[in-house]
Amino acid sequence: MQDLSSSLAWRGDHFCGRFRAMASPCELLIDCQDEILARRILDSAISETRRIEQKYSRYLPDNMMAQINNGQGQPVAIDDETYRLLQFANTCYELSDGLFDITSGVLRRAWKFDGSDRLSSAEKVQALLPLIGWHKVNLDEKTLSMPPGFELDFGGIGKEYAVDAVAKLAMQIAPKHSVLVNFGGDIQVTQPRAAQQPWQIGIEDPNRDDHALKLIQIRHGGLATSGDARRFLLKNGIRYGHILNPKTGYPIVGAPRSVTVAAEHCIQAGMLATLALLQGPDAKDFLEAQGVCYWICE
Amino acid sequence: MQLSRKKNIAGALAAATCSLLGQPAMAQEAQGSSETPWQFDTALLYYGETDRVTAVEGVVGVSKDFGDEHIFSGKLVLDGLTGASATGAVPQPYAQTFTRPSGNGEYQIGAGETPLDDTFRDTRVQINGQWTQPIWNDYRISTGGQLSKEYDYLSVSVNGSLARDFNQRNTTVSAGLSYAFDSIDPEGGRPVGFSSMPLRGNYASDDSFRQAFDATRQDGSDSKNTLDLMLGLTQVINRRTIMQFNYGLSLVDGYMTDPFKMLSVVDDGGITSDLLYEQRPDSRVKHNFYWQTKYAMDNGVADVSYRFSTDDWDIHSHTLDSKLRFDLSDNTYIQPHFRYYQQSAAEFYRPYLMQGDALPDFASADYRIGEMTAYTLGLKYGILLKEGRELAFRLEYYQQDPKNAGFEAPGVLQDLDLYPSVKAVIAQVSYRF
Repeated sequence: MQDLSSSLAWRGDHFCGRFRAMASPCELLIDCQDEILARRILDSAISETRRIEQKYSRYLPDNMMAQINNGQGQPVAIDDETYRLLQFANTCYELSDGLFDITSGVLRRAWKFDGSDRLSSAEKVQALLPLIGWHKVNLDEKTLSMPPGFELDFGGIGKEYAVDAVAKLAMQIAPKHSVLVNFGGDIQVTQPRAAQQPWQIGIEDPNRDDHALKLIQIRHGGLATSGDARRFLLKNGIRYGHILNPKTGYPIVGAPRSVTVAAEHCIQAGMLATLALLQGPDAKDFLEAQGVCYWICE
Repeated sequence: MQLSRKKNIAGALAAATCSLLGQPAMAQEAQGSSETPWQFDTALLYYGETDRVTAVEGVVGVSKDFGDEHIFSGKLVLDGLTGASATGAVPQPYAQTFTRPSGNGEYQIGAGETPLDDTFRDTRVQINGQWTQPIWNDYRISTGGQLSKEYDYLSVSVNGSLARDFNQRNTTVSAGLSYAFDSIDPEGGRPVGFSSMPLRGNYASDDSFRQAFDATRQDGSDSKNTLDLMLGLTQVINRRTIMQFNYGLSLVDGYMTDPFKMLSVVDDGGITSDLLYEQRPDSRVKHNFYWQTKYAMDNGVADVSYRFSTDDWDIHSHTLDSKLRFDLSDNTYIQPHFRYYQQSAAEFYRPYLMQGDALPDFASADYRIGEMTAYTLGLKYGILLKEGRELAFRLEYYQQDPKNAGFEAPGVLQDLDLYPSVKAVIAQVSYRF
């Protein structure tokens, strides 16, 4: 569960705040010399992150997500923030012709990406497919209803959303200072630093599976990575990555191991990276067509 | 899947991100600072002194950031003044008669009353513009000009300054220079210094009076030149505190006499025997020292400043100004204002001249260069509206208390108020959009 400890340290020309949330190391780099301000930004970031996590985590019994997933076909009242997140997910569903589908989380029951050769059985997958399909979900500004057995999962957007929400908060608290928000490699910079120098951060090198860090520089905007070099199945020489096609219930084959995208906002970058992986071998063409900066790890 | 592979969805995704995060679409193109729309600051101000001057002023300010800190700002001010102002003559236990500054006609002042010239009426138009931009690493220049025109007065000025940021913009040092040229051509001409005010009653005919009046007048207009040098240091102390220090040197050369002011010449009994037009020096060197601190509180701003000013006319002044802004809610605030001002009299200030004494080189009875204290008490209430618009109301009370700078009043003057207070109310409505 959560590790409630956090730390704040001076790093020569900025403050670095750290805590753990959303199963990731969370880091804030704050371009100021005022410790009180840095502490205030860090504390606000922690409470905002925890708020989002507790509201949308699949693992908690009484939160927003639990109410939605236990709706049993009945309309469930939703608030404005949830509506906006669902609208965003809806747009992504439409833009991806149904490949990005937040109802597809149930496929987790059939797949364990543990590096072994144990593919799921066709029966298991077939049994789950009727529980998938965003188009069967009814959504309006106040309520959501979906068929019994359906489950929503914000796994594909929750962390990126939290990064952007924290960045927005940091911008409100310190409109004149640059803050970099980094939740396990999903990154947002609120604005360029005072002296225009780039932020330097280490992110996990997706080319290696030993948690080695790669140093990158970022001045503004968002950055996000989709894909995980360590989560796959390997059978008969074919590598099955952990990205699943909600229409077939099977892993997308031929996709890069991971994709990193830079965009104005973290959640945008994260979605472009995820949608690229969903294109399988066409990921690169897809990214080229988007006209964004990207890095692919084959 | 072939369909979406080539499809550009980045734009649609950006729009969806905006509605999710609640940020304006403009943020998408933000890379560095970008152009902002024109901003307008408008205000209507009323200034009313009890029994004296009333002024109404309208202000329209515009500013625009053309991106990358290239900023233009400009202002148009229009004001109208009417009413009466103190002439410098002392009150008497009987009614007094004065010749109007134009020489056309006279006016009477009742027994015991402070002599005021009620022909004070003017309209002023002032326009200025200022351009600021970065030039190279950490340097900014600013340059501007101003034109001000009244019925009998014209002022033109130009200015330029250079600022440099240090220490990640936490320190700014600036140096500036400005030059102003003022020209004055008062109605009825400028009086000859220390000439005696002719009164119609002492002359047999209009012609002989006019001849005597004209003899007290100088031809044409006169002017003055002002050169200002300013050095500034702004320092961010911490996230909540910013401090500013300025030094200003002002060199003025030219006509500084007020053509509408006079001095009473009184005898040992305090009775006026003559009225002389005033005469001031034609050069002045002024030093200004200014310190300001702004402190951001959790729910407001404290703004305190102190100014010390000294010049070779021997006017030394202290100004303490404080504004405390309290946020009442997310979009309303209240700001009490307190200002205290104290000055010593100019070396040539005389409330009156004594008959029989030799004339000094310079003399003026203008209470504004005499010893005085003044204070302002005010309250401002502001409402922040959408998209940076702001509506504010300000109401202030202002009182000037002239003091006796050590003159022992002779005879009847002991029983008359030579240093009456001036009380004024200021009301302002301003709107920024």
